[in-house]
Amino acid sequence: MNNSNQLSTFWAAVWAVVWKDLQIEKHTRQTISVMIMFSLVSVIMFNFALEANLAAAREVATGLLWSTILLAGTLGLNRSLAIERENQTMEAVLMAPIDRSAIYAGKVISISLFSLALEVVLIFIFIVFFNKPFWRPQVMLILVMGTIGYIAAGVIVTSMTIQTRTREVLLPVLLLPLSLPLVLPASIAVSAYMFPQLPDWGEVQGAISVVAIYDLLMLAAGFITYHYVVES
Amino acid sequence: METTRLDRNIRILNWAAGIALVIALGMVFFYAPVESTMGNVQRIFYFHVGSAWVGALAFFVALVGGGIYLRKPERKWDTIAVAAVEIGLVFLTMATAAGSIWGKPAWNTWWLWSPRLTLITIAWLTYAAYFMLRGAIEDEEKRGRFAAVYVIVAFVTIISTYISIRILRDIHPVVFGGMAESAQGAEQGLQEFEQGVESMKMVITLNVSVVAFTLMFAAWMANRIRLQYLMDNANHLKMRVAARLQGGKA
Repeated sequence: MNNSNQLSTFWAAVWAVVWKDLQIEKHTRQTISVMIMFSLVSVIMFNFALEANLAAAREVATGLLWSTILLAGTLGLNRSLAIERENQTMEAVLMAPIDRSAIYAGKVISISLFSLALEVVLIFIFIVFFNKPFWRPQVMLILVMGTIGYIAAGVIVTSMTIQTRTREVLLPVLLLPLSLPLVLPASIAVSAYMFPQLPDWGEVQGAISVVAIYDLLMLAAGFITYHYVVES
Repeated sequence: METTRLDRNIRILNWAAGIALVIALGMVFFYAPVESTMGNVQRIFYFHVGSAWVGALAFFVALVGGGIYLRKPERKWDTIAVAAVEIGLVFLTMATAAGSIWGKPAWNTWWLWSPRLTLITIAWLTYAAYFMLRGAIEDEEKRGRFAAVYVIVAFVTIISTYISIRILRDIHPVVFGGMAESAQGAEQGLQEFEQGVESMKMVITLNVSVVAFTLMFAAWMANRIRLQYLMDNANHLKMRVAARLQGGKA
């Protein structure tokens, strides 16, 4: 009884953080719009770089999709967590009598939602530009799994980098290498779905399990360490 | 203040590591047989595995050091983590260089962007970034705390790298704990565990060189930690001199 009560308080706190972030986004519309604009620019730049060879561009479309998500992700993370620092709302959130890991979970969920919104746009663009089956539900599932792992690592790392001297500059240097062991198998799995016929489960099973393991481990590490990162 | 003397334990470790390394070298060149398909080039394999093993061990030690530091924020645990990451990076570099030299005759290229090689490069970058994070934080306590968190997060990538290089298809042979794919990998690359006595000699040499490298790691750790204490001590003395000089002027 007591246990389930604690659990429901935890989720109420998580939901409150998510709700707060969505409200801020609704009023400012800063994070998602910046992410989408940035992604459009990068996709067009990639196309420009590969224009001479559209066949080659199609081959590397999966890699392009992931790179765009990663780069736009660093913008979203910086934006969403820097707002808290600038307006000193983080202090207020920390003062609330809730578990630190609930704040972490809330942040991961809200920034993942922003990234997923971006990915919906990106999928549409990539289908149009590269004429590949990005609409497949399996592809979307892998995208969701990859995004959660990436943002789970991102919230921890960004919470640290925004408190350092070099701030925004440091984030990609720390986060991109950390996320590659996730993105590499995820990208291999997505590539397997880019052919007209669906791959056997055996072909993608390994890559997808690595993504799932990374997600679980990174979330666990985040839950354990987050409160060491936000303490001042 | 921790001890800054070159005490007996460090001396013993230094000698043990030196002697073990000489024995390992001797065995690699004179005891281990010539590999049947690759010839003498294969001997670099003993160094490659030894340093790759120490790289993984060092990052694990860093994880433990960081984990304890978060529980008990004492400077010595932070020092252990820094020392381990630094030494781990050196050994990872050595493993990559040795692997590259082996790769030239084996795969006819110095480098390939296979998942395993890519992920190892990324692991290198991950731990190199550790020092960028440390450099960006001035407050000592905060630096230790953030560095400890980063080391824990970074180790997650080491685990998933370890798993994915055993699951994903790759040209690199699997030596430790390989699964189904390793059979294929071993066929493509090394075939040294094949014929009875000769292959036994190879296994023994490999084990000796892994032990020698581990001893070298322990010795380096001891010396690096002592170096950190010397540096701290020097800073402490500098501050006292500065304070004395300012006091004298006033």
